[in-house]
Amino acid sequence: MKKITLATAALAALVAFTAQAHGPTRRKVSESIEINAPADKVWAVVGDWKDANWLENVAKTDTQGDDPSKSKRTLTLKNGNTIGETGGKYKPDDKLFMFYIDKVDVKDLPANDYSGTITVEPAGDSKSKVEWKSAFYRGYMNNDPPADLNDEASEKGVSNWVKASLQNLKNKVEKGS
Amino acid sequence: MSRLGASLAALLLTLAPAQAGPAREAIVTVQLANAVEVVDLASNTVLRRIAVDGAPAGIALSPDRKRAYVTRPEGHGLAVLDLDAGTVLTEIPLPGGPLGVAADPRGGHVYVADWYGARIFVLTEKDGVLAPDGEIAVGQSPSGIAVAPDGARIYVANREADTVSVVDAGARREIAVIPVGHHPFGITLDAQNGRAYTANVTGDDVSVIDVAAAKEIGRVPTGRRPYVVALLNGRGFVTNQYADSVTAFDLATLKPLAEIDVGDHPEGIAADPATGRLYVADWGDNRLSVIDGASLKAVAQIATGNGPRAFGDFLR
Repeated sequence: MKKITLATAALAALVAFTAQAHGPTRRKVSESIEINAPADKVWAVVGDWKDANWLENVAKTDTQGDDPSKSKRTLTLKNGNTIGETGGKYKPDDKLFMFYIDKVDVKDLPANDYSGTITVEPAGDSKSKVEWKSAFYRGYMNNDPPADLNDEASEKGVSNWVKASLQNLKNKVEKGS
Repeated sequence: MSRLGASLAALLLTLAPAQAGPAREAIVTVQLANAVEVVDLASNTVLRRIAVDGAPAGIALSPDRKRAYVTRPEGHGLAVLDLDAGTVLTEIPLPGGPLGVAADPRGGHVYVADWYGARIFVLTEKDGVLAPDGEIAVGQSPSGIAVAPDGARIYVANREADTVSVVDAGARREIAVIPVGHHPFGITLDAQNGRAYTANVTGDDVSVIDVAAAKEIGRVPTGRRPYVVALLNGRGFVTNQYADSVTAFDLATLKPLAEIDVGDHPEGIAADPATGRLYVADWGDNRLSVIDGASLKAVAQIATGNGPRAFGDFLR
């Protein structure tokens, strides 16, 4: 019995240790949406560092610092969990915002080492196009991932979250116009 | 020309050092396309695509530059490619997560790092056939590998251990551990000047190692998420994955010289001393960026397949 316990403990330690490194294959997902509003108006929402509540499932935004190119913020989700983000690039002239997710429960978003780039550009008369590019590793950080955290499931999870968020953005901006 | 003259010329061509002229080709692992692409550097176009499944990532070339050793972390193994024929010669299964790879510059051995473990695999060539031949314990999550020109020492960046392992290739054991910055990924050896450089992914800097003393002697600040360092004419060039840029720094002063804009999530980088150019794999934008090492500017782009990584030695 003691031997088994020791072996189990050793295995647990090994799993905890190896789980540090993410998977070997970064994935990419790109989504976009057309919004019936000028780009400036869309950017006013996308570029508002203090309010990320248009993101799907986000209930509250708490910023730790005022520089969206490097400060951190915490997004509280509707289920009470949080997502920790760090700003990466913030270029109002190009209407570009890049951010990283430092901390997220894979049950909320099945991804590791996530980085996202959102750009807003004019698309004709009083319309704009929002593009959101995601780069991330799958939710499970080792060989032989379970079905809900493999590459395909992780791509789907990220894609769904981004698409829902873009739809929220469209609804919010168009309703306010 | 006489027959003797012709065969002599052929012999001289064969004996000519591989890197004497400008690099003709970039051999690029396009991970999300499950392929390796051969890029012609005169016309800046993909000459051919060789299917390699298992999410090919790391690459090393044989001393004669005729073969490529490509890791397949999701297929679990190493593919050996005949680059002139454009074919996969053999696929060698390996356990764990084979990612980083380097070839002994004298030939005969290939070393592969197990990303999920704390070991490198040794593969030995016998009668022209490469086969697994044991393993050597190193630090946790070994990533980049560099081999000394005489093949006697192997240097391994251990991402999770924040160290570099110095391995005695003959004795097949780790003989020194050098603490470096946070999460070293790529490692580049400057044997002539007795230095090595690691790109520290979460430290946002480069560690400079005195190889003889087996210790870190300096740090160079970089952009976010540095990945690999290339060396050219007294300068270092490091890809910054999260900054979409390459930081150039002076190898003597260890001071940054410029930040060069490239594409989205740049990963592998290699220099061609004959032309003074560097080639960068822009993972997110599916292209190579070409940098002029003198003017420190991106001068061209070459379209590739989906998710180019080219982690390793990829010019020939």
